[in-house]
Amino acid sequence: MSALAAAWVVCAKDATEELRRKVAIVAVFFFAATAVTLVSFAMVGALALPPADRPPLEAALLWIILFFAAATGLPRAFVAEEEAGTGLALRKTIPAAVVLAGKTLFNFLLFLAMAVITIPGFLILLDWKAGSPAGVAATMLAGGYGLAVVSTFLSALVARAGQRNVLFVLIAFPLLLPLLQAAIAATIEATAGGFPATALRVLVAYDGAATCGAYMLASVAWED
Amino acid sequence: MPTTIAAENLSKAFSGAPLFSGLSFSASRGLVAVAGKNGSGKTTLLKILAGLARPTAGRVRVETDPSGSTSPSARRLAVGWAGPDLQLYGALTALENLAFFRRAAGRPARGEELVARLRDVGLAEGAVHRRVEEFSTGMKQRLRVAFAVLFDPAVLILDEPMVGLDVEGRETVDRVVAAARERGPVLLASNDERDFVRPDQRLDLSPAGARA
Repeated sequence: MSALAAAWVVCAKDATEELRRKVAIVAVFFFAATAVTLVSFAMVGALALPPADRPPLEAALLWIILFFAAATGLPRAFVAEEEAGTGLALRKTIPAAVVLAGKTLFNFLLFLAMAVITIPGFLILLDWKAGSPAGVAATMLAGGYGLAVVSTFLSALVARAGQRNVLFVLIAFPLLLPLLQAAIAATIEATAGGFPATALRVLVAYDGAATCGAYMLASVAWED
Repeated sequence: MPTTIAAENLSKAFSGAPLFSGLSFSASRGLVAVAGKNGSGKTTLLKILAGLARPTAGRVRVETDPSGSTSPSARRLAVGWAGPDLQLYGALTALENLAFFRRAAGRPARGEELVARLRDVGLAEGAVHRRVEEFSTGMKQRLRVAFAVLFDPAVLILDEPMVGLDVEGRETVDRVVAAARERGPVLLASNDERDFVRPDQRLDLSPAGARA
């Protein structure tokens, strides 16, 4: 059995647990729905802005919502294992890199599900015009994957630390800043109707570097 | 070739305070009784032997093939472990738990075989499909034992396996240990001397230092 197939087994286990317990799903979706609704109320005045001035504001707001909604659920990947005491069983049987891959996959799917809820809300409530739907979709895929892999790795890193929530935010901010900058730049361009090729290249490069770093350090972060 | 587990000059210290030091032993078959008072380091020693913790000094060798080299992934499954810290997934059933670990380790997870394994540790048919969070303390302990032997390990490490078990449960663990010690080494830690049935070797952990 390949490592990818084993990672899929880990992802399926996380999904089964999550569908039964609904801890991360409820937190993530409730945050996203609340944030989109509140932003739509606050943005009433901004709707009068000239169309050319709106994309930067809309892109920044969209990624702020996606990032903070993700931050309520994605870091649970390894933290939940430690809190439940199941981390030892995982470490005993499955290589750290496989667990990391499985949990990254689950977090990526969770992000995409969140985006599927958030973006229609944005389109309807904020009268957002995604000029290039393909550009927005590609940005969500590349940005979401980067967010998932970094959040999952950091979750492994802080899972056994005392102040894990504070630690996660402190480390995540500088690591995710380049990703968020590139994702916002790509979303601005896609909103304006262009395909954000340059910003996507940056995102893909970031994703590649983050993936390599995470897998090289997986056992250091997760095993004793 | 029988599998050998050997510790060479193992030491463990927490924040500079030594827990045990200079511990060496080797076992290829039979029961190794790991004894010592509370806080003497039994659980830590067994976690180090199981590959779940690092020693401060010294090393552990697990040799499962004639060349003497054992890959990390082979060693991971060659040593079965269960201890009081081990928890399985509460939202999954007993059967789903075992199937998950088998599949994730790249091993087949046939339902009938896994049900038979659960039956072997005294988890009756009704318990197989119940979520683990609904289990009693004794049932969880039986499931821990099933997890420890899930990959038919060459080396079995059990830390306080009798805790929370009724008479029938203790007999079940005795049977599991008896079968495993015929195949290879079994290391069993307990505070109760009655848990050591005719040990072949004894490791005493005391504040003065470990004695093999």
